[in-house]
Amino acid sequence: MQIEIKCSCGEKCPEWAIVEVQGVVEVQPDFRDRIPNLPIGLLCRPSSQEVYTFTVGYHELTGTKVSLKKPLLVLKKVKQPDADENSPGVELEVIGVIRHRILFKTRPKALISKPQPTVKGRAKAEDSAVPNQIA
Amino acid sequence: MEHEVHVEKRGAEAVLNLEPSSSLSVSYHPLFGPHPDIFLLELDHKLLPDILHQRVVLRGQTDEDAVLCTQSKTYAIKFVGTSNSVFLIPPSDQSGFSDDAVDCDKKDQNQLPPVASVIKVVPGTMELSEVAPKLDKLKFLLFKNPYTSEEDIDMEGFEQVQTGLYKWDDLVDLVQASDDELRSGLQALSALEIDGYWRVVDQKYMDMMLRVLLHNSVLNDWSLDALHQDKVLDVLESDGFPRKLAEHCLCVYGHKVNKGVVTNCVWKLDEQKVCVHFAREILRGGKRKMESFIDEWNRKVPDSMQPSFNMLEGEVLTERFGAEIWMRAFSVSSLPLSPAERFSILFKERQKWEWKDLQPYIRDLSVPGLSSEGLLLKYTRKTQPTVDAEPVFSAR
Repeated sequence: MQIEIKCSCGEKCPEWAIVEVQGVVEVQPDFRDRIPNLPIGLLCRPSSQEVYTFTVGYHELTGTKVSLKKPLLVLKKVKQPDADENSPGVELEVIGVIRHRILFKTRPKALISKPQPTVKGRAKAEDSAVPNQIA
Repeated sequence: MEHEVHVEKRGAEAVLNLEPSSSLSVSYHPLFGPHPDIFLLELDHKLLPDILHQRVVLRGQTDEDAVLCTQSKTYAIKFVGTSNSVFLIPPSDQSGFSDDAVDCDKKDQNQLPPVASVIKVVPGTMELSEVAPKLDKLKFLLFKNPYTSEEDIDMEGFEQVQTGLYKWDDLVDLVQASDDELRSGLQALSALEIDGYWRVVDQKYMDMMLRVLLHNSVLNDWSLDALHQDKVLDVLESDGFPRKLAEHCLCVYGHKVNKGVVTNCVWKLDEQKVCVHFAREILRGGKRKMESFIDEWNRKVPDSMQPSFNMLEGEVLTERFGAEIWMRAFSVSSLPLSPAERFSILFKERQKWEWKDLQPYIRDLSVPGLSSEGLLLKYTRKTQPTVDAEPVFSAR
């Protein structure tokens, strides 16, 4: 059988992003049933270089923006409503392309004091809870 | 919703275009979850246009590993896992994953802090590697039901639904090969399309047609280097062969010499193909002593043709028993195309091969990314008793 890879975006495929860290980000037990909208951390670009920090809980990661040697396609399996017995009943749809990722490949550095938010208005959310830690 | 105006402040765009000296909150998306229907496929830049213009399909039966086919090539798909946490962030306006819901209770979009939402943590990516098309299955399917003389009568009748026969659309469903590879596979098998079905023609049937053709060329004093298509087809048709099959006979054993001229094509029979055909016919009955084989071969081929031993490379094996040399059919076209199976059969046939004997039986093998030296290294053991001796290949 054949599964077609559909692409309705033509040349202008929407670009998705990847933030990649080593290991696992664990949600603290109190927050495990409240994951939607839960902040993970703060991504910060301190200078004009492509160097980034990612502050998760009391940990800070340092990483860089990397262009992917080979792009990644974001594919979505779509069920076909009018499938007959001879068709696989699914199509793959290209919903995005990824050309860059922000990669944090070093071990986290512990912050001695609480993370100082760099953007006003975010302070409350950051202070009220530290829902994640890097395991 | 006004979010389109501030689109650069949210989602993947915000991550990718983060201004110097600024920051961005990364959070779980309202619809965060395992989303097994979303996955990542790594592919070469050169394949992107094929994808974007929808020229790519996955092919395979449920019991086969799916392959990805472009117009001309076939790729195996492999899942490569990662132990990193790969946070996947859709663009802000991605339909279905719009993170409007995050802030629907907030009134002023301008005051929203920038945020990027993670829809899933990706366990790994699918990667592609070019592979040879799985054409052994094509061979298997077509040789289940070769076209035989009994079908000639049916051809004039009305079209009926056939079982065990395959149309192009069936073949692309069943065979893991790109369209181009499938087409050249059909050509390599000398298959033709009859009533919409792709068929190979039974060897006996081809033999009958070729003999009638050669017989008539003697009767009518035709040159085998300049056969007029109309005359040949008329004669074969009057002998009961369907015109389409008669034309196939010319295609299999000859080639057009006046290319570009539409009417009244002229064909030249290919000496090698005709001679090999008769060698196969002689050895169909089993092995023969070399002298008697050569005698019969010379008698069978048309007078204008000169059979020679090097035509039989990849067709015939010779064996020495004492003072006698025997010949026996062993055609490369009957062997599997997958290198592992091919070498296994070759070494079952003979434990040791000299290069000059082995080469005709492996030169058609092609494995992307592996040279013929690489193939030999992978599947054979090479021994060379002395420096100037011929190397001998045996199974690994």
